[in-house]
Amino acid sequence: MINDTIPPVAETEQLMNDVMPPVADAVLSGTVPAPIKIGVRHLDFFYKSFHALKDINLEVPEKRVTAIIGPSGCGKSTLLRVFNRIYAVYPGLKAQGEVILDGENILDPRYPLNRLRSKVGMVFQKPVPFPMSIHDNIAYGVRHHETLNRAEMDDRVEWALQQAALWDEVKDKLRQSGMSLSGGQQQRLCIARAVAVKPEVMLLDEPASALDPISTLKIEELIYELKKNYTIVIVTHNMQQAARVSDLTAFMYMGELVEFGDTNTIFTNPSKKQTEDYITGRYG
Amino acid sequence: MLTHMSSSDPLAVSHGTTAPSRWRSDGRADGIFRWLVAGAATLVLVVLGAAAAAMLWGGRLTFETFGWHFLFSSEWDAVNKQFGAVVPIYGTLVSSLIAMLIAVPVSFGIALFLTEVAPYWLRTPIAAAVELLAGIPSIIYGMWGLFMFVPFMAARVLPWVNQNLGGVPGVGPLFQGPPLGIGMLTAGIVLGIMVIPFISSVMRDVFRAVPASLKESAYALGSTSWEVVWNVVLPYTRSAVVGGIFLGLGRALGETMAVTFVLGNSHQLTASLLMPGNSIAATIANEFTEADSDIYLSSLIALGFLLFIVTFVVLAIARIMLHKLAGKEGNT
Repeated sequence: MINDTIPPVAETEQLMNDVMPPVADAVLSGTVPAPIKIGVRHLDFFYKSFHALKDINLEVPEKRVTAIIGPSGCGKSTLLRVFNRIYAVYPGLKAQGEVILDGENILDPRYPLNRLRSKVGMVFQKPVPFPMSIHDNIAYGVRHHETLNRAEMDDRVEWALQQAALWDEVKDKLRQSGMSLSGGQQQRLCIARAVAVKPEVMLLDEPASALDPISTLKIEELIYELKKNYTIVIVTHNMQQAARVSDLTAFMYMGELVEFGDTNTIFTNPSKKQTEDYITGRYG
Repeated sequence: MLTHMSSSDPLAVSHGTTAPSRWRSDGRADGIFRWLVAGAATLVLVVLGAAAAAMLWGGRLTFETFGWHFLFSSEWDAVNKQFGAVVPIYGTLVSSLIAMLIAVPVSFGIALFLTEVAPYWLRTPIAAAVELLAGIPSIIYGMWGLFMFVPFMAARVLPWVNQNLGGVPGVGPLFQGPPLGIGMLTAGIVLGIMVIPFISSVMRDVFRAVPASLKESAYALGSTSWEVVWNVVLPYTRSAVVGGIFLGLGRALGETMAVTFVLGNSHQLTASLLMPGNSIAATIANEFTEADSDIYLSSLIALGFLLFIVTFVVLAIARIMLHKLAGKEGNT
């Protein structure tokens, strides 16, 4: 059952065709199989005694956009934050189970955090440039993982800004503070900052929810461009956005993974009643 | 609101009978409120100006008698009525500098531990303990300094300092002299302990106010806790941190009781930090009761005026430095 919060299927496809070349059809229809980039097995997560994720099993394919949707508090951000172990910044949080990235369990304490974070980049809900120049914002992360000379670094900064479709807007003011940019530009700066490290996976935690519609559209176009090179996992509470940008969608509810599959199928023909209730707006 | 009304004249809206008088009284209340808060702020300026003027007036005899010489003479001879402010000014600045060298890194460590590293259950007790440190009266610090810390310094620390640092070229003269215990170094350390709570609680508060996602962004790029704090948190909170440091410095410059106990009250100018010295506040506290001549009393009051000036100049320099720093990092 589809109500008016979700565009009808034909319209959704029309929307997608507007932004995406025909080559994407094969990907969207899921006819091209992709190797598994992240495998989640029997993942449980605890905030102290609160059981936030319950036995999650999920396989994220390489160079696809996987969206995680669900009501507030369902654990979608928590799941995302396991993929780069950013939760470990805070005491008292615990993940159990396995998250396999390229054949290695990243939850193993012996897996070096530094290496994990060079492979898995993250963009947060609010645009948060570091209190330094635009150039240094990009160079900051790169310096943690590579030693580049000045010219190489300048090239890397330009490349990352171009990847994030920001270069033309900032090329003349790289020495200005990152904070001087507009909200949408700041968020693309944050994406460029994550891209500059050359990760393999990009985690996007509601990357457009603090932005205006035009900036949102730019970010979505960017996601479409980025998935040629990166595996993208995006958490969003905007269902149209999930429908527009993702190839696969996971629906979570109360810490459990209810349904996971091809985005078109989830939005047009979900197999679980909870999923249907949520995407049709019957759940708040 | 107005657009919802059907009336053709948007101003002829009915708000009930009390509205017009309510508008008038609101306007009056706002006016009174404005005057009240402006008055509260003005009070600071008036008190500050009056205190400075009173001390300048009280010290006029000294300034008239010695002129600029008062600022550049290290002589302090009550018998021959010759007074100069160099020794107390030097002692004030040096003991405060030592205090800051100790307090700033330690406070930074405390704030870092309390905001980034410590388990949650430990954060509140330690923060409370630090604040309790601020509540100890300075006379207690003075007595503790004189009876416990001075003998400890004389027996354990100073001989070692003398032996190991006294011969180092360049800084050697700073650490030469008999290990008396009382002196500039001891006073600086006690002062440092005293200002730690002020600096660290400001630092902790501003570090806590840094958006979590800013820190997480840095962690997500592979930063260690240290890199997050040093490269992101500190630049983000820079002006507040510098403000906290200067709050502590202001206290160190003016601290009286504790310093009086452990500084030694000697008007000899010496390079060694192990030797007794004097500070402006300690000189005033020590000698006020002994000031038997007009010029002596006037000189002490003039010293008080100089403390004003010294504090003002130090804080002004800090502001200028902060401004330059902000310009350099591209925040303009």
